Amino acid sequence: MKSLRTGALLLSPLLFVLVAAFVVPLLLLVPTSFQEYRPGHGIVPDAWTIANYARIFTDDFYLEVVLRTLGLGVAVTFSCLLLGYPVAYLIVRGNPRWRLALTLLVIFPLMLNLVVRSFGWIVLLTNRGVVNNLLIDIGLIEKPLKLMFNMTGLMIGLTHIYLPFMVLMLVAALQNVPRDVEAAAATLGSSRLHAFRSVTLPLTAPGIISGSILVFVLTISALVTPRMLGGPTYQVMATLIYDEYMQLLDWPSGSALSFALAISTILIIWISSRMTKRWAGLA
Amino acid sequence: MNEQRPGFAVSSLALLVILFLQIPVVVVMLASFSETSYLTIPPQGWTLKWFSAVLTDRIYLSAIWNSLILAVGSTLISLVLGVAASYAIFRKMVPGSEALTSLLMAPLIIPSVVIGVALLQYFTLVGMRGSFWVLLIAHVIITVPYIVRSALASLSGLDLSVEEAARVLGAGGFTTFRLVTLPLIKPGLVAGALFSFVTSMENVPVTIFLAGPRDTTLPILIFTSVEMGVNPSVAAVSTLLIIATAIVLLVAERWTGFHRFV
Repeated sequence: MKSLRTGALLLSPLLFVLVAAFVVPLLLLVPTSFQEYRPGHGIVPDAWTIANYARIFTDDFYLEVVLRTLGLGVAVTFSCLLLGYPVAYLIVRGNPRWRLALTLLVIFPLMLNLVVRSFGWIVLLTNRGVVNNLLIDIGLIEKPLKLMFNMTGLMIGLTHIYLPFMVLMLVAALQNVPRDVEAAAATLGSSRLHAFRSVTLPLTAPGIISGSILVFVLTISALVTPRMLGGPTYQVMATLIYDEYMQLLDWPSGSALSFALAISTILIIWISSRMTKRWAGLA
Repeated sequence: MNEQRPGFAVSSLALLVILFLQIPVVVVMLASFSETSYLTIPPQGWTLKWFSAVLTDRIYLSAIWNSLILAVGSTLISLVLGVAASYAIFRKMVPGSEALTSLLMAPLIIPSVVIGVALLQYFTLVGMRGSFWVLLIAHVIITVPYIVRSALASLSGLDLSVEEAARVLGAGGFTTFRLVTLPLIKPGLVAGALFSFVTSMENVPVTIFLAGPRDTTLPILIFTSVEMGVNPSVAAVSTLLIIATAIVLLVAERWTGFHRFV
């Protein structure tokens, strides 16, 4: 009994903070999301509506932003996977002497401030930025390419930002694949590519899945990079929520959109963890 | 043996990708030394004037100061609250440990923007908006999962018989924890504290909704000044952050073998 009291004493301060300043604020968003907002007047008292939610699926502008966000999530996840796998492979299977240095070079950008990294991409990608100047100087193009405020800029920036997460997940997965199974496949006459495709790749599938889920979820809720590289006009869900709260003061629409984003995130994580569990049970 | 090493094509592709990861870092650093008042790569002339401009600017200095206080404060509070809670969960002192762990980790799953707007509305309702305490509480909430995760991971590797031994030799609960348990889980906690510090230092999505005009943080300042146009002072302050991050990473690696905890 004494241990229960000690336990409660140890837990209660943090639980109090989390309930008072995290759970309750989130729950208070629910009523807001059903309220009516009139531009110029503010929130209409005692008027309840589901229009804020309906708009997400019916209004062309909202629908475009939602689809763009999801598309961006898929695209960034794939590019992180394609670029990240060779890096993870080199770290785990390459010369052990390089290992620490390479790992640190992957962690370094991860630790570095998100705003600084996005700023770096602005310097590179603007109309008179490093990339365009370089391409013009070597005569490949005459007019600067539009690399920012569109899908290209967001893809590059977000891939750069979430790639380290993917690499670290893949490194963890590859470490669990014994070298011997690849050697065995080679001994049995399988080519390197074939051995990779039929042995290594399936064995690292859990890491691929968890890395992809992580990158997807982070991408669809990203605010800083889409805002800095997409500007105020090329919107995604997070930047739209930001504008609705800070610029338009339309809190009801903003909180409905927030719920749509939060619920899709939680659903994706929940479904994928159930899938991985069932899958692990089969293996 | 050599057969199993990645081939030339894979290795060069991987090295190119690692290079890609460093490009924005290099570009920002180069830009901050340029003499021109707009950004040019390669830099024209070399100067340190943008650094002295940043380090004498009251707005930048107060933003740096605010960021540091927030990061140190929220990490310390998270450490105390998070380690205490993790210990109670680990020793199964209270029922429902799995549900409790999920609750403590929940701020990682909810998108930051959503936490930001929820806190903005809440603290406006209770009339605390614009206070520095609000920022501190918000940062505790977003950093505590990192502490809990590392504390639970370190505790799970703990040999309970050492604690028993201390108890048998007459040490009380808190003494045992302080002299036996804490030193054993310290490397994991240091890594967790670092993640917490970095998370707080770089947070925009929650902070931007809550920061009053007087207590803006460094990332918020960079974020908002970029909207008004790119300039070398931003590059200089970014370079300072890059150098600080590199030093922290190398020291942490030396100290705890940091990369194992990532």
